[in-house]
Amino acid sequence: MLIAAIFLPLVGAVWIWVIADRGHVAIRQSALVSSLLTALLAGWVVFHYEPVVPGEAFASLTLPWISASSPIKVQFAVGLDGVSLWMFGLSALLCVTAILVSWETITDRPAAFYGLLLLLEMGMLGVFAARDILLFYIFFEFTLIPLFFLIGVWGSEDRRYAASKFFIYTLAGSLLTFLGLLAIVLWDFSHGGGASVNPDVPAQLTFFIPELVRNLQYHPMPFELQLLIFVALFAGFAIKVPLFPLHTWLPLAHVQAPTAGSVILAGVLLKIGTYGFLRFSIPMLPEATAACVPALLWLSAAGIIYGALVALAQTDIKRLIAYSSVSHMGYCMLGIFSLTKFGMDGGVLQMVNHGLATGGLFAIVGMIYERYHTREISQLGGLTKRMPLLSVFLLIFVMSSIGLPGLNGFAGEFLILTGMFQRAQAESPVGYHWQFLEIAALAVFGVVLGAWYMLWLVERTFFGPLKEPHHGDDHHGEHPIRDMNFREVAALAPLVVLMVWIGLYPQFFIERMTSSLDPLTTRAESNFEKYYHMDESHGTAETDKRAAPAVAQVPVSADKPVTIDGHPRKNLPNSTASAAHLPLQP
Amino acid sequence: MPTTPETVYLLLPELTLLVFAVLIFVSGAFLPGRAGWSWLGATGLLAALGILYGQMGAEPLRTGVFGGGAMSVVATGPVLIDQLAVASRMLVLLLGTLFIMLTARTAARTQEAEFVGCLLLLVCGLNVISMAGDLVLMFLGLELVSIPTYVLLFLGSGHAGRYTPQRQESATKYFFLSVLSSAMLLYGFSFLYGVAGSTDLADLFGVLRAGQGAVAGSSMFAKLGMVLVFAGLGFRLTAVPFHFYAPDVYQGTTNPNAGLLSIVPKVAGLIALVRIAMLAMPGLEKTGWQLTLAIALVTMTLGNVLALWQNNLRRLLAYSSIAHAGYMLIGLAVAYAVAGGATGSEFTDGMGAALFYLMVYSLATAGTFAALTYLGGDNKQVDEVDQLAGLSQSNPRVAAALAIFMFSLAGLPPLAGFWGKFGLLFGALGVDANAESATAGLWPWFLGLTIVAVINAAIAAAYYLRIIATMYFRPTLERPAADGGVGAAFATFLCAVLVVYMGVDPGPWQTAANRISRSSRSTYRAVVASRPVILDAGEMPADGEQGEEFDDYDDGFAVARREK
Repeated sequence: MLIAAIFLPLVGAVWIWVIADRGHVAIRQSALVSSLLTALLAGWVVFHYEPVVPGEAFASLTLPWISASSPIKVQFAVGLDGVSLWMFGLSALLCVTAILVSWETITDRPAAFYGLLLLLEMGMLGVFAARDILLFYIFFEFTLIPLFFLIGVWGSEDRRYAASKFFIYTLAGSLLTFLGLLAIVLWDFSHGGGASVNPDVPAQLTFFIPELVRNLQYHPMPFELQLLIFVALFAGFAIKVPLFPLHTWLPLAHVQAPTAGSVILAGVLLKIGTYGFLRFSIPMLPEATAACVPALLWLSAAGIIYGALVALAQTDIKRLIAYSSVSHMGYCMLGIFSLTKFGMDGGVLQMVNHGLATGGLFAIVGMIYERYHTREISQLGGLTKRMPLLSVFLLIFVMSSIGLPGLNGFAGEFLILTGMFQRAQAESPVGYHWQFLEIAALAVFGVVLGAWYMLWLVERTFFGPLKEPHHGDDHHGEHPIRDMNFREVAALAPLVVLMVWIGLYPQFFIERMTSSLDPLTTRAESNFEKYYHMDESHGTAETDKRAAPAVAQVPVSADKPVTIDGHPRKNLPNSTASAAHLPLQP
Repeated sequence: MPTTPETVYLLLPELTLLVFAVLIFVSGAFLPGRAGWSWLGATGLLAALGILYGQMGAEPLRTGVFGGGAMSVVATGPVLIDQLAVASRMLVLLLGTLFIMLTARTAARTQEAEFVGCLLLLVCGLNVISMAGDLVLMFLGLELVSIPTYVLLFLGSGHAGRYTPQRQESATKYFFLSVLSSAMLLYGFSFLYGVAGSTDLADLFGVLRAGQGAVAGSSMFAKLGMVLVFAGLGFRLTAVPFHFYAPDVYQGTTNPNAGLLSIVPKVAGLIALVRIAMLAMPGLEKTGWQLTLAIALVTMTLGNVLALWQNNLRRLLAYSSIAHAGYMLIGLAVAYAVAGGATGSEFTDGMGAALFYLMVYSLATAGTFAALTYLGGDNKQVDEVDQLAGLSQSNPRVAAALAIFMFSLAGLPPLAGFWGKFGLLFGALGVDANAESATAGLWPWFLGLTIVAVINAAIAAAYYLRIIATMYFRPTLERPAADGGVGAAFATFLCAVLVVYMGVDPGPWQTAANRISRSSRSTYRAVVASRPVILDAGEMPADGEQGEEFDDYDDGFAVARREK
């Protein structure tokens, strides 16, 4: 089923190529059908998912690929676990949305457009399902090619520059990542590979991710090498996320891309970066990860604030949302690299949330542009009066994006902030307490900023007196601006359903992640603690003295998770312990 | 080794080519105009291929290259045939057929007979290089490649103004520099002869292997010879600093010729380099890897950076071919390091990666020039990048094929070029994988090399993307003639299919390349062992004092003395 879901878009693309001469109605219909079928298949897989133990995967399939008569073992191995599950489903879903929002706007070479979109879908599904390093990398790079064309051919004015910049920027980073991944494989092999775990296994140059993770626990790499490889992986993944200050390609690519391209780029492709960190950096390079945590957290916080501030200053709706992505992806990174259970759960959940909310927002911007041929905030106003339905959808997406309780954004951001405060307050290593606390405070400030620019955007464009750009011709009268039609509602409704679902009952989504994520978190946490010698020094006078001035924030972070997450917090004794110390401080 | 009937038998494919070439030359003089010479030439190439294939199944070659299993090395006369020789001959014959197809129409306007004849001789020369076990035969093969190339540069397609100053300049430039490089090569050969006392490469191998430590004086001459061989062959490979002719010559000639120039000399240069400087010179691995690593670094960086600024397509592709030569040299550097480090496991064997890369590069480049040839016409050929503007609308299929070639050259998955780069990078990173070996200290160098290589790959993507962007993102300026003939179209199609196929299923090809390179490592050893006079390291005086006695004699003399 999984493999069918991955390659169905390819079949669809080939089919579209075959019927390319039959007019664009037939083309877009077949594109829709194949993406719907893919989404159904993916949905089937996702909802039949049963939690797996680490190292295993659901619906896994492993075929030999490049292993004939050589020590190299590259496999066509796919399968889902808790980390990739929701991203896989989200990719399939957003592709349907992307096709529906392109329904009428794409009239130039539709066959190529929909074909490339489906190829892109195949690439994305493959990235999240791959369990072999090389396969992952191939799908990872492959996504660049269709998107390059999508931006370059169907984008706006500055599309050529945007497409090339996007491509080269990403490629440069991902090639370094490639070196890092190869280095991991080679190092593993030269230190016995699987044979060091189980002597019966022949020494093979394995590219199989679970096997590598396991082997590297038996023979961990020296710290310097880990750091080197971490930097190499960071180059590719951080550009993809994008982490400040490597984000400069993103606003350009987003703004120039056609709506479908933006939806997918923001909704799915950015997450490949965070996914890569989760899949490779954290489990394979634990010490280096621990060492880099402060720097990574600072960069994430900087991205959150910077993205939000720049978003505030934008006059173009699409550009505003693009910068909001920089800010929101900062939260994902923050959650993941807090290396706490809440933070990581929240980070992964936020990957999905951001995909839904920002994907939806980009789709709505596309709809506005379709109607008014402008994205300038100053030219629009009071659109609620003209398009009540569209306004409702926009408001839902905005509310989700700023983290209104009851919608998905809240669940994700809350977990992330909880995780971060937990790291800063209760489990901060000696000497880092203040830093982490500042980061956490900045992140909270970012939430406020996020609400500000988003609500301000809504206020300026959707409320107040009606203001529409003059078209300068009278087709305005003939074709009055209409509200959303059924197609557009159908494109966005599934996103809204999911957002409410996640918002009201995140447990459903989180518990499917935990079986894979928890062991990862536990190991990462213990490595972190080992790295900073927190075993001995935790709770010493020095830590607590430094903790004292920030007392006021402890309840905020420590109390709520118990209510939202059902099961008791692992570190609760710790935080109560430090709380017990507090009265003793002057 | 005396020349026997067996030698002639083994040379049958090359003799067939010669016969066909002579036939075409002679009858071309009496039957002017179009007379289907391309068909005759293609027949000759396919006949040679058939004979070669037949020989692979029979004694003395017995087992095939792709059938698995070890093939015995056959050394007879100056000819030396191992898996590398058989495989590269097959590759060359296939490439030759591709080029006949590609030029079938454009060459037909003028002197088709001469064109096809020269092409056959050139292929014959490449084959001779692949199977040369002797410095003289090697040089003969290299000249057999060079001389028809001079003629081809003057011939070419039937465009108006055939003898334009640019074309004359390009041919003259190539001629003089090629002669210069041949001279350097010969000078290098003379040193090698001095070291070995014989022009036989196996003898050279034997002497150098045995001479480690014992005949210290000769090692300097061997090094000098190696450097000069690198200089001479670097010209063929367009390795910096012997690259500077390439952009001018490519720009001044026609598209098919430029395609020929960007593939044939590289195949010749790489195989000759492997045969002489790499396999036949044991004990000089250190010089070898230092030299290749330095050249590789400079070559790929210079090629890629300069390609960024080019507007002329052939000039751009010339710089790109320089850069690719640099990538191939990575493989050789790794191969030297592995050879020096005693263990040569399959995956770190850079030579296999270099051979695979050569194959992949040749296919993508041949395809690119086939597409450009197809886009040209009687009076006009595609020269500038801008002429490709809007190609995706005027010729969508050609544009798609060109995009595939560009992505493959840029090294993007899932195309063949990706696996080429994968093998090279993997090998280079793996140099330190066996930390206990003698190569352990090299790894910072090779790590640096890989980093430079990937940065280069990103730079290269910029100009390949520019071509794609021109084709896809810009409106059509002028419709290209697209009159290059069915042959060129078919060659384009074939290359595109192969590039995609090798990208999806690279396993068998890589395995074959690795097996070939591994088996060729023991070629000379097998030959030396099979000879009546065995000059083995174990027989040589082990201690230094006795060794110094040999210093007074030249090495050939030393060998002769031991024969008594």
